[in-house]
Amino acid sequence: MTGFLNKMKYPGRWSLFRSDDRLLLMIFAIIVGICSGLAALLLNRGLETMLEWLHHYRFYWWAIFLPAAGAALSSLFLEKIVNEGAGHGVPEVIYAVSRYGGLLRLRSSFSRLISSFLTIGSGGSAGPEAPVVMSGAAIGSNIAQAFSLNDRQRVALVGCGAAGAIAAIFNAPISGMVFAIEVILGEWSTMNIIPIAIAAVAGTEVSRLLKGNQIAFAHRDFNIHFHDILACVGLAVFCALVSILLTRALRSMHHVSKGVTLPLWVRAAIGGSMVGAIGYFLPYVLGEGYHAIRTAIEGGFSGGFLLVTVIALVKVLATALTLGSGGSGGIFAPCLVIGAFVGLSFHRFMAMVWSSVHWVNEGCFALLGMAGLISGILQAPLTGIFLVIEITGGYEVILPLIVVSAISTTLCHYLEPASFYLKDLVEQGQLLRPGTDARVLTDLSVQELLETDCICVHPDMRLVDFIDIVKSSHRNYFPVEDQQSRQFVGMIHLDDIRPYLFDPAMHHAVLTGQLMNPHVKTVSLHDDLSEVLQKMDADHIFSMPVVSYSRFLGMISKATLLDQYRKELMVQTGRF
Amino acid sequence: MAQKLFHIFRNTPLGRETLLQSIYFCQKLSVRPNIYIPESTKFLMYFENDVVQVDLDPSYLNDPDTAVAHVEQLLEASKIKPDLFTPKNYTASTLPDVPTSFEFMCCPRSISDLSSKIGLGYIGPRVRRIIQAARFPVLITSPVYKPWQTIAAFFGGSANAVNALRLGIRLAKVTGMTLDIYTHVGKNTPSEYRSIVQDKGLDKPLKSVLNQWTFFEKGRFEDNLYDVPHNALVVLGAYGHGIIKDIMFGSMMEKIQSTISNNLVIAGPKYTMLG
Repeated sequence: MTGFLNKMKYPGRWSLFRSDDRLLLMIFAIIVGICSGLAALLLNRGLETMLEWLHHYRFYWWAIFLPAAGAALSSLFLEKIVNEGAGHGVPEVIYAVSRYGGLLRLRSSFSRLISSFLTIGSGGSAGPEAPVVMSGAAIGSNIAQAFSLNDRQRVALVGCGAAGAIAAIFNAPISGMVFAIEVILGEWSTMNIIPIAIAAVAGTEVSRLLKGNQIAFAHRDFNIHFHDILACVGLAVFCALVSILLTRALRSMHHVSKGVTLPLWVRAAIGGSMVGAIGYFLPYVLGEGYHAIRTAIEGGFSGGFLLVTVIALVKVLATALTLGSGGSGGIFAPCLVIGAFVGLSFHRFMAMVWSSVHWVNEGCFALLGMAGLISGILQAPLTGIFLVIEITGGYEVILPLIVVSAISTTLCHYLEPASFYLKDLVEQGQLLRPGTDARVLTDLSVQELLETDCICVHPDMRLVDFIDIVKSSHRNYFPVEDQQSRQFVGMIHLDDIRPYLFDPAMHHAVLTGQLMNPHVKTVSLHDDLSEVLQKMDADHIFSMPVVSYSRFLGMISKATLLDQYRKELMVQTGRF
Repeated sequence: MAQKLFHIFRNTPLGRETLLQSIYFCQKLSVRPNIYIPESTKFLMYFENDVVQVDLDPSYLNDPDTAVAHVEQLLEASKIKPDLFTPKNYTASTLPDVPTSFEFMCCPRSISDLSSKIGLGYIGPRVRRIIQAARFPVLITSPVYKPWQTIAAFFGGSANAVNALRLGIRLAKVTGMTLDIYTHVGKNTPSEYRSIVQDKGLDKPLKSVLNQWTFFEKGRFEDNLYDVPHNALVVLGAYGHGIIKDIMFGSMMEKIQSTISNNLVIAGPKYTMLG
């Protein structure tokens, strides 16, 4: 029995998969796609039920406290029950993929589903997509852990989980696939694309089986002219500015909330009650906002330019209040809502200024605004394009979609070099995409590069004896250790003895202790190689001694580092 | 290269006892203590194929202003240069990552009502997951400072017990202490246990450190534990059972740690001997 269980635990060792693990990954991709799809649908169905049930109470004055209660409960659940750090989780997934081969905690597979259900279901302005991505990724990671798959396979299954979840929640397999590769993994390799595509299909099929094959935001046909495409340039600029505004508002609110010395659940409740108060007057800003998107795309929104613009800006504020103060959820759905209203607002502005021009239906601009916002805030143009095409079934808008997504992404990248998901990771130096300088240096360690063929000398050695050692060594650096304690006391470089080398009178008079540099900069075993390289570059040196607890361990040189760097880079990029 | 013992400091009298135990262990084995004074009650440990979240009880955050001074005082009294660990990486702002690249880790026993539980704070299963996933052995200290003078290894014949015996031999050699082996006779006869040791090539290294090999052929395992000297460092292997098996049949590790108050060193299934 134990033997059978052990065999089950290591499917990579089964004869079927031993020669090629692609089949193994495909099978696991189906399982992960189905599980993450089910998780996504569970949250989606839960939210629909909850929002429908609470809809009847929205007109009472006390309804302003519903988002407060939801955010507080969500925060308490995350902090006290599952003991998990708050947040919508996508940066955590990217961090785990970058640094730890996609290792994620089991609790993450359900914690964000419950907490975001409480936040969004009660009316908080956030989206369910990031929580389902977190959940799907954690499901993939934990399945990989349970079956002892290696790092590369685990990362692929994390991507599968994210793809399955997005594919299921939007009935959009290509978007799921592109999101997982473009945003989560940041690496387009065949090894990942195939299982991720399979997981996306599995997630979509689960969704179609349980919800039916529906387009999330159906719309009428659009007759797009050249002047509409030209106008898209302006819309893209508008979208980029609002994306930056949303990014900064979310981060500022988070910093403001962090500075308040109240328990997290109280802060979340305060943020939630403010959202509730706003929602009492402008119900469009509450919840995930899919209903508002449908109305905007169908061209059925009756408010004027001012009202539409105010809704877009207030939605930015409500999202910042919900997520910045400690509520749980993602920014995907709010981006779609804000984008739709930005598109409407822009259309109305154009219609006001150039009233004689026959513009395409405003629903088209709402749809383009959604793509502009998603592309801008995630700096992921392909995700924006495919998502909007799939959720609206609007292939005829592909040209303006590409224009808006490309320009919005470029402008946002210019103003904010890192996307919303990556900003914190970049600031902390934790974004380690495969094949990048930071990742290669992180995957190497000082220990691996240690050169131990150095000859140690002691400070009381006469120069004549030292010259004998130099003759038998091929190195230019000589570490000096105290004879009794064996502690590292300094370093002698060949250049240091050159002035005395040709003066035989000095050979018996000078001691190595007088020649050594006692203030030489050292490296410790646990230093990051990026820091080591920085030190070498700053001081124009090519070798440094590695010292641990005052003991000399060896040398680290730029030549060895770059040699190993090249080898590691070839492994990571698959180019030999 | 200096080996390290990772210790999480609790700024309480109990924490002081635990640190004294770690210091004693380090002195005997010429290992450097690497002390972590936590700033939040949780942290993550990323192993090769598992990530373990350790949830500490709030007493670990007691009086942070005096924590560093207390650690330095205890270490300097033992002539050890303080080496404090500061997390570099964070999974979330309140969730630091603790590396797993040291040679030993100290996990104190809990002082909760559930005396049969061991834990970093109150969660015993976390320590068991660390033991299951780690390449290093875990030192579980006795509740009060208790220097040990001999090594005692439990040997049941399994692969993990062989691992633990290997660790016991190493500890005995490094400390210059004698090693006693205790075997609760089960399926095998005493001569079969000896031949397992011989097959694994441990008979020769064992000869130089072995004091006595005791076979418990009668009585309950827990009752026989009375024969284990109170001043021995007990070395045992974690058997790597799943949670269901542990619930049904009980864990040998839990049985031992709840019966004897000795310092324990536990080698998990992934333990690899270094140095």
